[in-house]
Amino acid sequence: MDYRQCATRTTLIVMLVTATVVVCQTRKEFRYTVGPHASVSVVNQYGPITVTPAPGNQVVVTAVLHSDKVEIDQSQSANRVELISHLLPGSTSDSGRVDYEVLVPPDASVSLHSSTGPLRAEKLHGDVTLEGATANVDVHDISNAHVHVKTLDGPVILSNISDGHVEITSISGNVTLDEVSGPLVQVSSNSGKILYTGDFGSGGEYSLMSHTGDIDANVASYASFDVIARSIKGRVENDFLLGPKHTPFAIKAGSAFAGTLNKAASSVKLSSFSGKIHLRKRQP
Amino acid sequence: MNCAEFQQVLPGTEKGGRSAEQELHLQSCSVCSDLVSDLDFIVREARTLQASEEPSPQVWQSIQAEIAELRSELDLIAREARALQASEEPSPAVWKSIQAEIGDWQTEMASIAAQARELQASHEPSPRVWNSLEIALREEGLIRQPQRETVPMSSRRWRLGWLVPVATAALVAFGVLLYRPTVVNQGEVAQSASPRVFHTNNQVSVKDDQELLNAVGTRSPAMRVAYENDLRDVNAYIRDAEQSAAADPNDEEVQQYLMDAYQQKNMVYQMALDRSLP
Amino acid sequence: MTDARKSRGDKLSEAEAIERAKQGDAEAFETLYHLHKRRVYSLCLRMTANTAEAEDLTQEAFLQLFRKVGTFRGESAFSTWLHRMSVNVVLMHLRKKGLPVVPLEDTFDTEEESAKKEPGAEDPRLAGSVDRLQLERAIGALPPGYRSIFVLHDVEGYEHNEIAEMVGCSIGNSKSQLHKARLKLRDLLKMSRAEKATKP
Repeated sequence: MDYRQCATRTTLIVMLVTATVVVCQTRKEFRYTVGPHASVSVVNQYGPITVTPAPGNQVVVTAVLHSDKVEIDQSQSANRVELISHLLPGSTSDSGRVDYEVLVPPDASVSLHSSTGPLRAEKLHGDVTLEGATANVDVHDISNAHVHVKTLDGPVILSNISDGHVEITSISGNVTLDEVSGPLVQVSSNSGKILYTGDFGSGGEYSLMSHTGDIDANVASYASFDVIARSIKGRVENDFLLGPKHTPFAIKAGSAFAGTLNKAASSVKLSSFSGKIHLRKRQP
Repeated sequence: MNCAEFQQVLPGTEKGGRSAEQELHLQSCSVCSDLVSDLDFIVREARTLQASEEPSPQVWQSIQAEIAELRSELDLIAREARALQASEEPSPAVWKSIQAEIGDWQTEMASIAAQARELQASHEPSPRVWNSLEIALREEGLIRQPQRETVPMSSRRWRLGWLVPVATAALVAFGVLLYRPTVVNQGEVAQSASPRVFHTNNQVSVKDDQELLNAVGTRSPAMRVAYENDLRDVNAYIRDAEQSAAADPNDEEVQQYLMDAYQQKNMVYQMALDRSLP
Repeated sequence: MTDARKSRGDKLSEAEAIERAKQGDAEAFETLYHLHKRRVYSLCLRMTANTAEAEDLTQEAFLQLFRKVGTFRGESAFSTWLHRMSVNVVLMHLRKKGLPVVPLEDTFDTEEESAKKEPGAEDPRLAGSVDRLQLERAIGALPPGYRSIFVLHDVEGYEHNEIAEMVGCSIGNSKSQLHKARLKLRDLLKMSRAEKATKP
C-alpha cells in the first residue's frame, strides 16, 4: 500500500512539473519570404537548431522559448534573415534555452551559432556554417555547397557531403566523416579523433591533421589517391600496397609512409603530431 | 619442450638465434630437426635463384621501340609548343593600346598632382596673415627681411620627390632598429635563413589567456572550464610544434603544425570573444 | 667525339651510365639495361611464374626507369632503387589482376601437419634429393600470396620490415606467412620427389 501511494505521489509530481514547464514555454513562429540564395543566420546560446529544406520561397522558423528570461531578436534585410536569442538578466542555461526548427529553401546559405547546440543541417545546396563550443554538430546530405564547422569540444559528424569545400576545426571534439568528398576537405583537430570513411574521391585535396588525436581512414580499395602520412611522435599503419612516391622528407618506417593508389586522382595528407594514423582498407 | 611448442616459435627464430631449450629439442627430435634442415635447404637454394634468368632479346627490342615512340611524341609536343609560342605573340595593335593607356595614365597623374597643388595652395593662409606676423616679428627683432624663394617649381617637386625615398629609407631603418633577432636557447641568435619561429612569450600568453578566461567566466561561468581545457590543449600543441620547429627549422611539415596550432588558438579566442555569444 | 666520351665498345661504368642516362643518352640506358636485366627479370618471373608476364613486367620496369631515372638522387644504391621500383611494378600488376599480394587466410594448418610424427618409414631430408628445377617448379606452384613473400625474402633478400612496408602488412605477419610459405614449399617438394621416384 505504501509503495502504491509513493508511486502515485511521484507520478503526480512529475506531471505537475511537466505541466509547469510546458506552461512556461512559449512557442513562436516567424515567416519570411525570400528570393533565391537567401542567407539565414541563427545565434542561439542554449538549445538546438535544426535546419531542413522545404519547397517554396519561405523561411519558416519555429522557436520554443523555455522561459521569459530569453527573447528573440529577429530581422530581415532583403534576402538576409537573422535571428538572435537575446538572454535577459538572470537567465541560465535552462531558462535561456530556445529550441529552433528552421525550414529554408534548399539553396539558402545557413549560418548557425550555439554554445550547447546540438546543431543539425540536412539536404541543402547552400553553404552551411556551423559554430558551437560544446555543441554536437550533425550535417548530412549536402551537395554543391561549402560546409564550415568550428567546435571546441562538440563532436562533429558529417555524412554524404559532396562537391563543395569542407573545413572543420575542433579542439577536442571527435570528427567523423562518412562519404565526404569534394575539391577540398580539411580537418584540423587538437585532441579529438578523426575518423574518415569513404574513397577520397572527386580528385580533391584532403588534409586530416591533428595534434594528439588519432586519425583513422577507412578507404575503399578502388580509391584513387596519392597519400603522405606522417606522425612526428606517433605510429602510422597502412593496409594498402602503394606505388612509389617521392617525398621531401625521409620516410621512417612506422612514422611515415607515402605512395600512390590506382591513378592517384586525389591528394591526401594525414598528419598527426603524436596521434596514431591508420590507413585502412575498407572491407566490401 | 615438445614439437608443437618448438614449431610455434620457429617462425620468429633464425639459425643462431635459438634458445638452449630449442637447440636441445632439435638434437633430440628427428621430426623437428628434419623440418629445420629442409627449411634451411630451401632458403639456401632460394638465394641461388636470384638473377638466374635472362629475358629474351625481344624484351629489349620492345623497350627500344617504346622509347623511340615516346621520344618522337615528346619531340612533336616540343615542336607544337614552339609553334604555339611563336603564334602567340601579340599584334602591334596591342602595344599601341598599351602606349595609349600609359599616356592617359600620365595625363591623369599630372592632373592629380596639379589638383593636389591647388588644394595645398587653397589650404594655405592668406598672405596677409604672414605679413602681419612678419611685421610683428621684425619689430621684435626676431627675424630679418625674408629672402624671396626663387626655387623653381621643378626644384620644389624634386625636393618633394626626394622626401619619399628618404622617408622610406627612414622607415626601413626604423624597422631594422626595432627588429630584434629571436634568441634561441643559450643566447644564440636565430639564423636569418631559417623560417621565423614564433617563440611564445609565456608571460604575455598566460596573461592573455587568463584575461580571456575571466571574460568568459564573467559572461558564462559554465563555459570557463571548457575554454580552460581547450586553451591548455592548444598551448600544448603550440609548445610541441615550436620545439619541433626549433629542432628542425627546415621541416615544412612542422611549420604547418605550428600554423595549425596558432589557427586553433585563434579560433578559441574568436569563439570566446564573439559578441553574439556570451 | 671528345676525349671525355668513351668510344663504342668501351664499357661505361654504372655511375657514368646513370649520369648519362639522366641526360637522355640511349647508349647509357642500354648499358643499365644489360647490367640489371637478369635481376629484374628473375624477380618478375619468380613472382608471376609466367614467362610472358615476366617479360611484359620487365619491359614495364625498365620503361619506368627511363621515365624516372632523372629523379634518382643517389640516396641508395642504384640497383636497390631499381629493384624496389621493379617490385612495385610487379605487386601493382598482381593487385590489378586481383591476386592477393599478402597471403589470404589459409584453410589448412601446416603447423599441425608438420607436428605429426610420421609412423613407419622416415621421410628423407630434401637436401641432395631435390634439384633446382624441382625447386623452381615448386615456387611456381605456390599460391600467389605465399610466392610473393617467399621470393621477396628468401630469393631477393628483402628484410621483413621492408616487405611489410611494400605489401602493407605487419612485420609479424610477414614472418609467419614466410614460414607457412616455406612449409608449403617443403610439402610441394616432397610430393614432387615422390612423383619423380614413381616415374619409370
